[in-house]
Amino acid sequence: MSVGYTWVQWNRHKRVYDAVMVAGAAAYIAAFVVVSRATWTADHALSDEILLLRALGSCAIVLLHLILCIGPLARLDARFLPLLYNRRHLGVMTFLIALTHGSLAVGYYHGFGVLNPLVSLLTSNTNFLSLTAFPFQVLGLGALIIMFLMAATSHDFWLRNLSASTWKRLHMLVYPAYVLLVAHVALGALQNGRGPSAWICLGLGVCLVVGLHLGGALRELRRDRGHPVVNPVEDWLDAGPAAGIPANRARTVCTRGGERIAVFRHDGKISAVTNVCAHQGGPLGEGKILDGCITCPWHGWQYRPGDGRSPPPFEEKITTYQVRIIGGRVQVNPRGLPPGTPVQPALCEESPDA
Amino acid sequence: MAIETARIILFAAGAYLTIGVVVAAVFVIAGVDSIDHAAKGSPWSFRLLISPGAAALWPVILRRWIDAARKPHR
Ligand code: HEM
Ligand code: HEM
Ligand code: FES
Repeated sequence: MSVGYTWVQWNRHKRVYDAVMVAGAAAYIAAFVVVSRATWTADHALSDEILLLRALGSCAIVLLHLILCIGPLARLDARFLPLLYNRRHLGVMTFLIALTHGSLAVGYYHGFGVLNPLVSLLTSNTNFLSLTAFPFQVLGLGALIIMFLMAATSHDFWLRNLSASTWKRLHMLVYPAYVLLVAHVALGALQNGRGPSAWICLGLGVCLVVGLHLGGALRELRRDRGHPVVNPVEDWLDAGPAAGIPANRARTVCTRGGERIAVFRHDGKISAVTNVCAHQGGPLGEGKILDGCITCPWHGWQYRPGDGRSPPPFEEKITTYQVRIIGGRVQVNPRGLPPGTPVQPALCEESPDA
Repeated sequence: MAIETARIILFAAGAYLTIGVVVAAVFVIAGVDSIDHAAKGSPWSFRLLISPGAAALWPVILRRWIDAARKPHR
């Protein structure tokens, strides 16, 4: 948060996550090489370069699918949230693996001629109208450039200094990059006679990504329609039964103006804050309370539920809302208070959380 | 793509990035503190980490840097 920058803000969770991630990628690449060696023997044996090229490329695309899926998965089921906390490192690692794959390919296919390897990459194949001989490597290059921009601007310094909307627009380029990569793999695998298995894997991956995104969006829509019951007398928002909010979790409600409010339950008390994280707009209501603080599911920024302020030495503040419980139901005053305003939590009548 | 076209594109990209590397080097040593107070006294590892982005997005960086120099007391 807004104390001086360090190069990586590691904590124990992130170290474990990163260790699992690196070990997983290494195991995948090793397994890929061993299995391919055993399957493609004698005349069909592949050179080491091609094997490594394929191992790295497919590792990168698998990771990209993981990255694309954890957002909607976490929206559909909170148990996936831990995967979301450190997506940034996953993204950077995916880029580094893809970069190695791309560099190897450029060196191996274009590095031995008289032309500059990149000139060769752009010019050696111009069959842009052919499906079976399409210059698929150019597509990979395009995707790699996008991934570079995302990885290079991943530090919090960039979030702050590029402005949130520019950064987000840059980040949404992951979808065009994904399309380029699906084409890169589909056309590459086709050209290199990989048989139907590559096609099937890729098809399943695309279905998964598209299906999860549609599912997540539908769920969001339904949730927004479900709750905004406004008490006509006083305009407080009904946020449903207090007992129905799981301990240290939130229920998200939506005002008529379309603002989302996260209603948290902690220590037998109810507090409401904006659903929008001050860092990058992450959905606070999908996070949980860790060490007494609301913890954003995206990058782990924290806020105290009572006043919407980050614990010292941090200085971030978010909008808070007045809450009350009437007849066991939570009500939220939809007029937000200035960020960081302390609010008396409403006390649940039932026994406090176990 | 014709070889000449590819050469021109790559030359332009190379020139852009060369300028970027120079701007980024000076920026992470001497400029980053002036556009973001949280970067004051930050370690070299942080400066190294933002360098590739600064080299790729140097027009944005220059612009922020000039803005910061114009109104030093933010
Ligand atoms: C490197 C630093 C990165 C950070 C800090 C980061 C953080 C984020 C954040 C905050 C979002 C949500 C944006 C939004 O929906 O408004 C997001 C979405 C996404 N990021 Fe990253 N990311 C990083 C790198 C990457 C990289 C390198 C990739 C791909 C190679 C990637 C793939 C994605 C995808 C696919 C989504 C959309 C997922 C969804 O729809 O929920 N990210 N990332
Ligand atoms: C400069 C950029 C790139 C170049 C020149 C390049 C080149 C290649 C080449 C030549 C192949 C065929 C290998 C073979 O089977 O003989 C290939 C396959 C592949 N590439 Fe790339 N690529 C690039 C970027 C990427 C990126 C960014 C990704 C993913 C994130 C990627 C993922 C793949 C995958 C999954 C395969 C198929 C591997 C297999 O057949 O098992 N490539 N690429
Ligand atoms: S911590 Fe980054 S959006 Fe909340």
